[in-house]
Amino acid sequence: MPKVYFYPDNRGVKVEDGENILRAAVLAGVHINASCGGSGTCGKCRVAVEQGDVEAQDSAKLSAEQVAQGYALACTTAVRGDVEVRIPVEVQMGDSRAALEREHRAVTHGSVLTSKDLSELFGDFDLDPVTHRVYVELSVPSLEDNLSDLERLKRELTRVHGIGDFTVDLACLKKMATKLREADWKVTATLMEGSNGECPRLIRLDAGDRSGKHYGLAVDIGTTSVYAELINLNTRESLGRVSEYNAQVSCGEDIISRIVYSLKKDGLTRLQNLVTDTINRLIGRLLEKSGVDRNDIVYMVAAGNTTMAHLFFGINARYIREGPYIPTVNFMPTVRAADLSIKIAEGARVYYIPGRSSYVGGDITSGLLASGVYKADKLTLYIDVGTNGEMVLGNSEWLLACACSAGPAFEGGSVKHGMRAVKGAIETVRINPDTLEPMILTIGQIKPRGICGSGLIDILAELFLTGVINEKGKFDLELGHPRIRESGGQAEYVLVWADESAIGEDIEITEVDLDNITRTKGAIHAGITTLLDSVQMPVEAIEQVLIAGGFGRYLELDKAITIGLLPEFTEDKVKYVGNGSLMGAHLVLLSQAARSSAKEIAQKMTYLDLSTNPSFMDNYVSALFLPHTDTNSFPSVMERIKERSRV
Amino acid sequence: MAFQAPLESYSGKIREITLGSDTQVAVGGENTLPFYTFEGNIPNRPRIAMEVYDTEPVGWAGELKSAIGDVWGDPVAWAKKCESEYGADIVCLQLASTDPNGANRSVDEAVATVKAVLEAVSIPVMVYGSGNADKDGEILKAVAEVAQGKNVVIGPAVEDNYKSVAAAAMGFGAKVAGETPIDVNMAKQLNILMSNLGVAVDSLLIDPSTGALGYGLEYCFSVNERIKLAALTQNDNMLQSPTVSNLGREVWKAKEAKISQEDAPQWGDEKKRGIIWETLTAIAVMMAGADILIMRHPESVKLIKKTIAEFGV
Repeated sequence: MPKVYFYPDNRGVKVEDGENILRAAVLAGVHINASCGGSGTCGKCRVAVEQGDVEAQDSAKLSAEQVAQGYALACTTAVRGDVEVRIPVEVQMGDSRAALEREHRAVTHGSVLTSKDLSELFGDFDLDPVTHRVYVELSVPSLEDNLSDLERLKRELTRVHGIGDFTVDLACLKKMATKLREADWKVTATLMEGSNGECPRLIRLDAGDRSGKHYGLAVDIGTTSVYAELINLNTRESLGRVSEYNAQVSCGEDIISRIVYSLKKDGLTRLQNLVTDTINRLIGRLLEKSGVDRNDIVYMVAAGNTTMAHLFFGINARYIREGPYIPTVNFMPTVRAADLSIKIAEGARVYYIPGRSSYVGGDITSGLLASGVYKADKLTLYIDVGTNGEMVLGNSEWLLACACSAGPAFEGGSVKHGMRAVKGAIETVRINPDTLEPMILTIGQIKPRGICGSGLIDILAELFLTGVINEKGKFDLELGHPRIRESGGQAEYVLVWADESAIGEDIEITEVDLDNITRTKGAIHAGITTLLDSVQMPVEAIEQVLIAGGFGRYLELDKAITIGLLPEFTEDKVKYVGNGSLMGAHLVLLSQAARSSAKEIAQKMTYLDLSTNPSFMDNYVSALFLPHTDTNSFPSVMERIKERSRV
Repeated sequence: MAFQAPLESYSGKIREITLGSDTQVAVGGENTLPFYTFEGNIPNRPRIAMEVYDTEPVGWAGELKSAIGDVWGDPVAWAKKCESEYGADIVCLQLASTDPNGANRSVDEAVATVKAVLEAVSIPVMVYGSGNADKDGEILKAVAEVAQGKNVVIGPAVEDNYKSVAAAAMGFGAKVAGETPIDVNMAKQLNILMSNLGVAVDSLLIDPSTGALGYGLEYCFSVNERIKLAALTQNDNMLQSPTVSNLGREVWKAKEAKISQEDAPQWGDEKKRGIIWETLTAIAVMMAGADILIMRHPESVKLIKKTIAEFGV
């Protein structure tokens, strides 16, 4: 890996080949002014490349003379070998070098957690999808060979593919005669394995050989966001992943308000339609992206929380909300996609990963499956941070799960300029402790449009460490800095000025935003504490921590600990899983064994209800403080705060 | 062999804080639970701070009027009587009239009252604002300045004004009582915030708020008790401040303490009723660990002092 060395800071860092200098600076803990998110438009991150191989893009922000002198914009300059970079004084801003060094500790590689892929977490598994597509050429019937169409098909499937008895969808049977004859007796049969010892079922017939076009759809139905991934079931290959806000958001941000809405006249139907529309839009985007035919997607696996399951299937969700919180169903039946108005192949089925209870749903089962927690020897803490925060503690022998309402903050909800982790979202933020000026990077390095989860964690941590906010998340207006202002009776920090944002207005973070983020992190931390208390284990007993959720591409452990989202776990214990729920759905599409495991996990989990747990509320209030009211449990953060106050 | 009761020893201790200048009074300092004299040291019994209002109270119980009506409206005379006649350890001057939603008295008027009271008594003085966070910030700053050298307690510092109140306490050498809404974590958080500003921990008092008997007292008891347990058993530095219970004003708001016998004959003698209500509330918070009890009626004070003496501290 190439090494980038920065002067006058005298700090170096190793980065991937092709990484840009601005991100290298973030990793090295060096501050460079950058306010356009790395899009190359503000021209503030001008640096001099003194040595080494770089690939710079032309920029209107640099004169020919400057280019000749070796100047380049850090954000649009890729590192191609060992490089030495000098940062001009005006770009560093601020003289207190010591302050910088203390504050911007280099980020070690273990601390920046990137999302993992399935094989890395789950390990090897056999490709064994529940559906099969097989091509057969039937002999043309005659007076001598006068078997019925179905028996003829069976005979050939047995002879060529060794498929024994199977049953058939009536809808498929109704069209069989015409289909076979129009296809000149050359057809692809799509069969689905039966569960619980039932025989397979013929769900679809297509003209010609389509056996190579065998696709499945994995969907994660989140309260705030829906993700869909198209997968080739013959090759395991992923053909694309897309996401959108769940259109139900217009009817309420959390599951409680959704349930309330579902009880209004036509509310349930409307909610069901909204999520179906969202999924169908995602399918449309995937088809366009991949060139796959809708009729070749023969199976869908969905995962989501229990309320989302009820609303997706159009089932009464009322009693999820009312004590003793009983859902209609945890183990959803497999149904035809058409019955749910999901526009994939006719005859295709939808399987929903089973959940444990009203507040620990299929998304958790799915995540535990994908991340291999249910077969782990190590005591593992699995955390899924979504609109609901779910936490599971356990290993291959036992699993204890709990859920709390975390709020949609990390997915961009209930934050003024919050957004999902898509292009234009601010994902990395550093604030210069001396000048209080920010350094920001966006996904895709385009002009910033808003802030995603990882950016929000960074902001809270940086504002706190630089003393812009206090332990309660309240701004220090006495600092008299132009970026810290009061607007509409509310204090805020301007992260991006209007002329550098993609939305034509300032992107700021308000006190209310900070409050919402703090509540989210507080709920997660309190959940972890309560879970540990209930099994009387210290935090040190946890050997492995897996974090799932839609924060973005990265999660910086250091920042997550600084704000007290997580206890002070050591880097070697923690992995960022990314969207665990979607990964589990992906796995179930590819493996019948995984499907059985999902069922076992859902049956095996023990559910701890936090709403009746007296210590949860206490732990929660205790966590509504930066980093935490129990400062003794955050020794390294307290040490940094002490360093800060000495500066 | 004779039975030996098991004894606990605690890793923590409540900070001992000395208040006042002419006649000093120490509060806190215990290293055991309330009245557990068999287990540890309780150098200072719970102290009684008697309320003095800066203006003539309106709508108070008839029983209060007959007991202290002769001095109310004159804070100096009232304070003197607390010291010389009622046996108060501390005077708690409540600057209720500064409330912008009430009489909205100015900073200067408040300062004049404080100054006069300070000159009139030798026992320590606590000065409480009206509870309006913004106004209290202004008032208490001026109060701390005029009371410099008198080692007073100012309060309540709350989340919305702790910066100005704490700065005033630091600048002019006052102690500060931080008030939070019946939550052990919030009490601790406010202490952390104030000490992060630079207030020495031995200038901090905790007022965790209280309700009167029948008005959520059990919950307040738990919070008070948990503060002491965290301070003693977990050696939690930020909860080792002596605690204040501002109970008088809560008790005398309760209809059980206030309503006349004529209106509620089934509740019995109104003269006794209010006093008993205040005494019982005070006993409860004292058992939970309060180090300073802010009280109103001289008879309740007498009863409480007698009770404390009977406990042998």
